[in-house]
Amino acid sequence: MATPKAMRQPASLRFGSAAFLTLWCLIAAFPLFWILVMSFKSPADAFDANPLAVIFGPRTIAAGKGLSVIDLVLGLAVLWYAVRFAFTRLPQMVRAFTAPGLVILGWLVGCLGYAVVFIVLFFGLLPVVLDALNAIAGPLGQPVIGLTAEHYRAVWVGNEFYRNFINSLIVTGGVVTVSLTVGTLAGYGLARSGSNLAFWLLIAALIFRALPHSVLVAGYLPVFINSAEILRPILGDAAPTLYGQPLAVIAVLVAINQPFTIWMLRSFFQSIPVELDEAARVDGCTHLQAFRRVIMPVMWPGVITTGLFSFLLGYNDFLVTSLLLDAQNQTMVPAIAGYFNRETTTTDQAEAIAAAVSITAPLFLLVMVFQRQIVSGLTAGAVKG
Amino acid sequence: MKFRTFAAFVGPSVFMMVVFIALPLASVFVQSFQVTQPVIERIEVESCTAGFLEQTCTTQVKTRPKINESGQVETTTRWVGLESYANLLQFDRVWAAISNGEPGRILQIDFWRALRFTLTFTLVTLPLVVGLGLAIALAVNNAARSIRGQVIFVSLLPFIITPVIGALSIRWLFYGDGIVTSWLETWLSTDISVAANGAAVEALMMFYRVWSVAPFAFVIFYAGLQTVNQDTLESAIIDGASRWQRLRFVIVPHLMPLIVFIALIHLMDAYRAFEEVVGFSSQAQRITLQWLTYDFLQPDDAGNRSISRASASAMLTMIGIVIILLPPLRRTWRDHKGIS
Amino acid sequence: MKIPLVLAATAMLMGGAARADCAFENDVDVKILAAAFEAWKAVTDAMAECGNVQAELDQEFRTKQPAAFAANPSLYQIGGVSNGTITPLLNEGTIRPLDDLVEKYGQHLQPNQLIRINGEIMAVAMMVNTFELTYRSDLFEEYGIDVPTDYDGLLAAAETLKDAEGIDYPLGAMTKSGWDLAMEFINVFQSSGEPLVNDDSTPNINNETGMNTLELLKALSDYMDPEFLVSDSTYVQQQLQQGRIAMANIWASRAGAVDNEAESSVVGKVETAMSPIAPFGDRPVATIWWDGIVIARNISDEAAEAAFRVAMEGMDTEMVEANNDAAVWLIQGYEPGRLAQGAIATATHDPAPLSYPSTVEMGLMHTALGNEVAAYLTGSRSAERTLDAIEASYSTAAREAGVLN
Repeated sequence: MATPKAMRQPASLRFGSAAFLTLWCLIAAFPLFWILVMSFKSPADAFDANPLAVIFGPRTIAAGKGLSVIDLVLGLAVLWYAVRFAFTRLPQMVRAFTAPGLVILGWLVGCLGYAVVFIVLFFGLLPVVLDALNAIAGPLGQPVIGLTAEHYRAVWVGNEFYRNFINSLIVTGGVVTVSLTVGTLAGYGLARSGSNLAFWLLIAALIFRALPHSVLVAGYLPVFINSAEILRPILGDAAPTLYGQPLAVIAVLVAINQPFTIWMLRSFFQSIPVELDEAARVDGCTHLQAFRRVIMPVMWPGVITTGLFSFLLGYNDFLVTSLLLDAQNQTMVPAIAGYFNRETTTTDQAEAIAAAVSITAPLFLLVMVFQRQIVSGLTAGAVKG
Repeated sequence: MKFRTFAAFVGPSVFMMVVFIALPLASVFVQSFQVTQPVIERIEVESCTAGFLEQTCTTQVKTRPKINESGQVETTTRWVGLESYANLLQFDRVWAAISNGEPGRILQIDFWRALRFTLTFTLVTLPLVVGLGLAIALAVNNAARSIRGQVIFVSLLPFIITPVIGALSIRWLFYGDGIVTSWLETWLSTDISVAANGAAVEALMMFYRVWSVAPFAFVIFYAGLQTVNQDTLESAIIDGASRWQRLRFVIVPHLMPLIVFIALIHLMDAYRAFEEVVGFSSQAQRITLQWLTYDFLQPDDAGNRSISRASASAMLTMIGIVIILLPPLRRTWRDHKGIS
Repeated sequence: MKIPLVLAATAMLMGGAARADCAFENDVDVKILAAAFEAWKAVTDAMAECGNVQAELDQEFRTKQPAAFAANPSLYQIGGVSNGTITPLLNEGTIRPLDDLVEKYGQHLQPNQLIRINGEIMAVAMMVNTFELTYRSDLFEEYGIDVPTDYDGLLAAAETLKDAEGIDYPLGAMTKSGWDLAMEFINVFQSSGEPLVNDDSTPNINNETGMNTLELLKALSDYMDPEFLVSDSTYVQQQLQQGRIAMANIWASRAGAVDNEAESSVVGKVETAMSPIAPFGDRPVATIWWDGIVIARNISDEAAEAAFRVAMEGMDTEMVEANNDAAVWLIQGYEPGRLAQGAIATATHDPAPLSYPSTVEMGLMHTALGNEVAAYLTGSRSAERTLDAIEASYSTAAREAGVLN
């Protein structure tokens, strides 16, 4: 399709727009790039005032932790191929080796296998090969950039961060599942009902969304801690202490997130023509059947987008999780915040940065995988009203 | 849809919101008119406390709550009307400041200081978020298809990152001898202390907010741009509309509902800003309303918390949000009436 | 030696046979909630050796502890407290007297460790914490400065060192707006020996001492990093380690880090001395704190007994020998290290610094100071009006808490 002449852009506009985008991407990514760099340096280097010292890490090299030119070239090459493989060959292999009904399982196995192979190659085999190469390479084998993974090791192995990671997965998974189940039903009901009650529910939800969370959360704590006593008359001895339970936190986060979820999903369902489910109802379906047979197959773009927002809320929450979970069930974000209290050292801070990068990595992956769905889900309807 | 069916669909969601939001909200509302205090007794207590070599024992009159037979602290709850609100708003000091001809002193009262900053923060960031979001969306829409994916990915980063971490990553660039500050210092050859300067901290907090929310606006607008009616655009071109006019009269009106949506969400979120104060440790310079509420609720070493004032402050925050939301809400109401 | 803090907060040894390090095998579930710092980490690790011990070193312990101990049964058996945070537990009666248990299992404790309220032992202290002047001895020598024993001397030293090689600001201080800044005010004020709150709960800061305190803080701030209102103890520690400040009056528990070779560029160049005395006072500018354990009331006697025995294992000589420099321990076997000398000089000065008062009013006063003092230091409010504001803020909170009519 040839662009009409009037649509074609003058060079100045194209250049300006490209320059603006470059600048924005720089601003958007730089702070995050910088903490990534800091996380690999010794504490003294990471907080240096001189950016070059942070990048090259002289004290990190002095401590014997550095990468030579060979390390850099080979390491980057392996990384590049690993990423390429993940986006090209891996999907092909998954498709080739799995039966149509088991795609999700196939992906799970595929990703796990990929992760294992990558870890063995990158952290097991590669260092051995590189050590041998560096030993014989002379000046090329001398370290030029300080880089140490000790903070990551301290965080994940020494401080058992994987516990927090698992807890985060449980809480986030629970929040997304429950939030979407409850929210989809409500969103559909609200979209198909023109009653004033529906309108006022939405307005009430909007006001609920505006409530400062700190008030809500502080109100939960005494009730959650004493819930066994409070609920004993109703539930007998089975009455649970809600404090510290991931389930209780999931419920709270779902409730806090409901207003946004039902608004998003309502406008999404509104963009699905009413005729669709009316036709199904003429064929003798009840509302629920119509929802299951007709609406569910077409609702996924909107649900995935909304689910991503729920995911972000559950994953990034600090106020609720820090107060209502005990140490066994602590998620990652409050765990990190603990590094910054009154009693920390510079090493703790450097480790906190490594932990912060570790938290961010899954978010990266998530957006990479779902990026197209976010835009298409929003385009499909959630943005129409 | 019949009411029963509607109730079945909406029920679980409404139940959760009632239990976890509406009931606490109701109790906050009630508590803002009440003061609950322990019954205090004054008794002489001899306490011995550790020193490095030997103890020091002192006998002092101490105030202690009375404990009843069942081992609980005895408390009384009084209705105090608007007293907690008055403690928060401190109208006497406000009038004193005005009658002394020094209205600037009003801003030394925590609530008014928080309100001033929260409002400025909300209203200044709003156009920036919408404007920047729209600009990025237009620029991305204008970019070559081959790089769009990567650009969208990078653009979304500030939005998805955990707020505490995002704020800290920016703080480290500026506070103390952060690299950006050091660079500015060499460039301007002056000594810059960002955290010591209220205006600079304020600007930094706004920068962080725009940085982290603009991507959300961007992705919504970008999705909206995909559905712009091409026929309308083409006929506008035939009518000889300039690029600017097409933006002004075709694209922006098309995106208007989205702009309202973004504005609504942003107003709500910015008005209860909280992470910025913690992330940038700005409490000496700038505080927000939610931070004020949070601060009232944080127990001190002795376990005291100002529940009543916190409740009052939360209610005032709510009222503020409702006032700010009224214009967009009226629009929603009209739409609703138009549909049904 | 690296002691990971919070992430390792969960030290669990399930169902385990007791290790040789623990004198007995614990088969009752014991949970402890304490603040997160190195000394607690050392103590709870030693407790965990007895088996079935679960330690939570939590940032939010101030919020959680009173509520968790008030529950029935209490969610934790052992609480880690300081003389500040014991107040709510004591007032609400959620901790039990320990006299029987001390008699049975605590014969080795020093009399100094037993915290008595009205004659009953309510807590067992393990360490004291106070302040000490931490200074760069190399610079002091180079410029021929004597170690100051009062704040006039300190200010003179700061003036001399203003332009010293590599020094950005001669003075560091923990003056982050909020809790830290209030602590600084309290330390300076109490150098006079006067209480901040009178016996009848009325505030006692709107007076000459209060004015002198504010003015001294202001005078000090001229020699500090202009960003002093975000400077907490971690920041001061970093500045010391990077050699950017020459001296600071800081927590004794924080001084040890200047000899940490992985972080510090001034290893061996820093000494400690007694916290100097304020010009209007006669005591070092410091307060004395202790940290120790309490046992919950709402648990069975058997559980309390097991908890106490476990706690005693955590606070034994073995633990102190392994972690000698993590704190100024009160436990037998402690050998004060080089960097603890200042703290000991502070604590043993005559007249000694006051200990931080465990009262409801002090908590309220601490909050009021933390919120109001900053406005004076930023220059947006005069000293008189700042004192008025502190008084007003305290009175409002005290009336709301019911301690003032």
